[in-house]
Amino acid sequence: MERNWYLRIALIAGVLVFSLYQLVPSWFYFQLPPSERNGEKYDQSVPSWAPSARKHLNLGLDLQGGIHLAMGVDVDRAVKAKVARRADEIADFLREKKLPVEASAPTPDGARIAVKTSDPKRVESIVLDQYGSELTSPSGAPQGTVYFAFKSKVLQDFQAKAVDQAEKTIRNRVDKWGVSEPDIKRKSNNQIQIQLPGFKDPEKAKELLGRTAQLEFKITDDDSAALDGVRAALPACPVDQGLLRAPLPEGGCWSVEGVELPGGQARQATFVAANTRAQLDAAVDKAAKPLLPPGDEIGVGEGTIGAGPVKDRFYRTYLLHGKTELTGDYISDARAAMDNSQGAGKPVVVFTMTPEGGRLMEKLTTQNLGRRMATVLDGKVETAPYIQGKISTNGQITLGSNRPYQQMFEEANEIALVLKAGALPAPVTIFEERTVGATLGPELIKKGTTAALVGLLLVVAFMILYYRATGLIADLALVLNALLVLAIMSIIGSTLTLPGIAGFVLTLGMAVDANVLINERIREELRAGRTVRQAVEQGYDKVFWTIVDSHVTTLVAGVVLMQYGSGPVRGFAVTLIIGLVASMFTSIVVTRAFMDFFTRRDTARLSV
Amino acid sequence: MQFKTFDLIPHDTKFDFVGKRHIAVTLSLLANAAVILWAVFHGLNFGVDFAGGTEMEVRFEQAVDPGAIRKGVEELGFTDASVQTYGAESDHTYLIRVGRIALMSQADVDRVVKAVEAKFPVQGTPHFNPDVGDKVDFQFQGTPPTPDQLRAAVESAGVRVREVREEAGLTAGTKSFAVITQGIQDKIERDLSARFAEAKPDVRRVEYVGPAVGRELRNQGFKAVLYAMALIVVYIGLRFDFRFSPGVIIAIIHDAVITLGYFAFSGREFNLTSVAVILTVVGYSVNDTVVVYDRIRENAARHKGKKLGDLVNESINEVLGRTFLTSFATALSLIGLLVYGVGTIFDFSAAMMMGIISGTYSTWFIAAPMTIWLEERAAKKGAPARADREPARAAR
Repeated sequence: MERNWYLRIALIAGVLVFSLYQLVPSWFYFQLPPSERNGEKYDQSVPSWAPSARKHLNLGLDLQGGIHLAMGVDVDRAVKAKVARRADEIADFLREKKLPVEASAPTPDGARIAVKTSDPKRVESIVLDQYGSELTSPSGAPQGTVYFAFKSKVLQDFQAKAVDQAEKTIRNRVDKWGVSEPDIKRKSNNQIQIQLPGFKDPEKAKELLGRTAQLEFKITDDDSAALDGVRAALPACPVDQGLLRAPLPEGGCWSVEGVELPGGQARQATFVAANTRAQLDAAVDKAAKPLLPPGDEIGVGEGTIGAGPVKDRFYRTYLLHGKTELTGDYISDARAAMDNSQGAGKPVVVFTMTPEGGRLMEKLTTQNLGRRMATVLDGKVETAPYIQGKISTNGQITLGSNRPYQQMFEEANEIALVLKAGALPAPVTIFEERTVGATLGPELIKKGTTAALVGLLLVVAFMILYYRATGLIADLALVLNALLVLAIMSIIGSTLTLPGIAGFVLTLGMAVDANVLINERIREELRAGRTVRQAVEQGYDKVFWTIVDSHVTTLVAGVVLMQYGSGPVRGFAVTLIIGLVASMFTSIVVTRAFMDFFTRRDTARLSV
Repeated sequence: MQFKTFDLIPHDTKFDFVGKRHIAVTLSLLANAAVILWAVFHGLNFGVDFAGGTEMEVRFEQAVDPGAIRKGVEELGFTDASVQTYGAESDHTYLIRVGRIALMSQADVDRVVKAVEAKFPVQGTPHFNPDVGDKVDFQFQGTPPTPDQLRAAVESAGVRVREVREEAGLTAGTKSFAVITQGIQDKIERDLSARFAEAKPDVRRVEYVGPAVGRELRNQGFKAVLYAMALIVVYIGLRFDFRFSPGVIIAIIHDAVITLGYFAFSGREFNLTSVAVILTVVGYSVNDTVVVYDRIRENAARHKGKKLGDLVNESINEVLGRTFLTSFATALSLIGLLVYGVGTIFDFSAAMMMGIISGTYSTWFIAAPMTIWLEERAAKKGAPARADREPARAAR
């Protein structure tokens, strides 16, 4: 065995220092009272030499109180709505073609469209000619009737989109509440999971999340130079190669973008930008509100910084005419498509309006040709494309600027989603709800910590009593193990839950297991008459694979749990997995380095 | 050298584990059968995670009679209510569970629909999804009611409304409304506050799981247990020899069932966390088994030609101290959780403790002896059962 224990001690010291360093933000996090932990006060309290303040131990909803919701998107109803709309469209279409149509309506189950006509054969072929990419004509219709139904692939796609819409809307809304670290993600096919730590009012959350989205169209007021005045009150945003650079100043800043005016001129329009919605609102209240021209309002949208795959987001203002020109009620469909009319394909958004909406849209676009039209979803400006031509029932939004194709296509998809969100309510309902009161969380933390400490102390005491010096070494490794687990959890931002605490304690127990295995083996080798050094070497070598096997089998259970668990159970699994990995390191590498160090001479004594 | 240690378990034991295996296996079979029969005929106390429904943890400042809580809840129309003490008696905390997630049953819906249809031009069949249970979508043609009128109409049918939400109609010229009825939480909370005003009820936690979600969670939990077992068996098979796998499978199932027994016989809630316990026990119980298998393999390589039964006995005895002490150390760490743990965590730790004890027992009496039994059967069929068939990699 190589006696390179200097190297190994250095490695261990490194791991120790690294763990402590990573735990600095968590230390400051838990110093603060719970109400201040997620505010600016915490950001300020973390010293500048420490790791990013974001990397602290997260507390699960069960430990800090909050709401967990699984909202189901009522795709059933959204599908019924789609079928009903298409039934109307088909009726219009057939009348235009001068075909005899008595009625075109959904069947009672809402799954098919039944068209009553005196000429079923022709109706079928003409409708399928027009809509063949989406509809089929199932058999079984009674005399004088034709059935049409959506192809299952079309429906699946539509259902997925409906859930996307709902997710986007929910994100927008939660964004506005200023909940710290909300977690919103897709769960299974039609469910969205929302976690709102620290949020106290489940009824309010459900009410706000459950509403359908409000989509409005407004025209930007780029003619007005009123916002230029904010340059006196705010600093200029940091700019790098023409792009904004993050992070922006805390109190907000101003920047400019080039806009075209209908007359063909262009000007530099000023806008206000900030890192978060709250910061932007404060900056707007302070600097921009007093300058607002009568009848105008400030719209807030999002922008991205940087061109890489990971983009920082920031919030920015638009100066809008206050009047809502049109609402999403008039839109019947929207999708991203390719426009090949000017040579190379360019992503565009194609949308269809109801007849009445078409008239309104035509008037609006004729009057505001060359201006920007802001689409505002739930009060947030999603996009503000230029009106490049008259739009009526069938409109097309061309995206400006020459950005990478993929990025533009994503944007087109997003705009289509937003447009549809206003048209097709995909109502959401609550499938699952778990609320932990604010008083319960801290109590659980206290009890959980006590429980963990008591367990740890018992184990530590037992090891010292039973194995003496070797037990002490194992205990040191155990403490390092605990620190390492907490540090890794901080780095990857995993969440500590109540079962997670139990998982933590359990892995500490298992880490001790490994040391017991080693020590018992060393005892055995000593009994067999080997010298201390031989016994230590033999002990570790022979037990190595046993330790690996025992850890891997539990690891397997942990990974399966992580795959299938949800909420606190997943927290348990993550803690267990991290704990097992750390335990392998400490029991195989750390204790061995110590043991080798103390038994480096052949005359060494060892109390095992 | 110094050797001033004491052994909790003497290092030179010669227990005849293999010889006692018939008694042990009989006992284990009985215990397992008891758990399974109990679970099948008496049922497990499924929590809302799996059964669906609403569960509220309510703490009172003074002692209240759980019977009175149940009576109150039943008077509200929940005939399936259950009320349990949660945690220590002195906490005055109760777990109230009702099987429904919303106030409306299909009969309620029919009544509401009839009341609304009598007053307003309802189009088509109002949409009610029983999985969601608290929402009816109405669509109107012609002159739709205002939200307030609609609310009044629904409430005249005896269902309290929380919100009437306006939605865009399915087609042009129609108007849709979603009527959302008051949740169970509001209703129970209000009733408790009125009934036990002086004890100041405080709703500390509310969980609500729809039946569809509950079904999904149950399926996933079941799958998780199966997959974990399968993966572990494959791992053991690859690392050792598939000859050892049956013993491991049986020991795993044994321990999982015994752990399940904790939930079956104590009547404690069986939920997602319980599945986590079983999986951890499964993973953990293999630990001890692996230690013994490892030693059997090592001894098999060393004493070629020795009878498998003696080999197994010798190996178990050699690592008796280790097996016992590792379980003991883990059990120690659980003591804190048992003493200070609340609710779920207490159950978690208690079940885990059962699992660890069972895991140690099954290592001694089930897993390794099962290997012998299988070998003997194989031998009877003519295949020579030679322990030294083990490959040389056993020298690890």
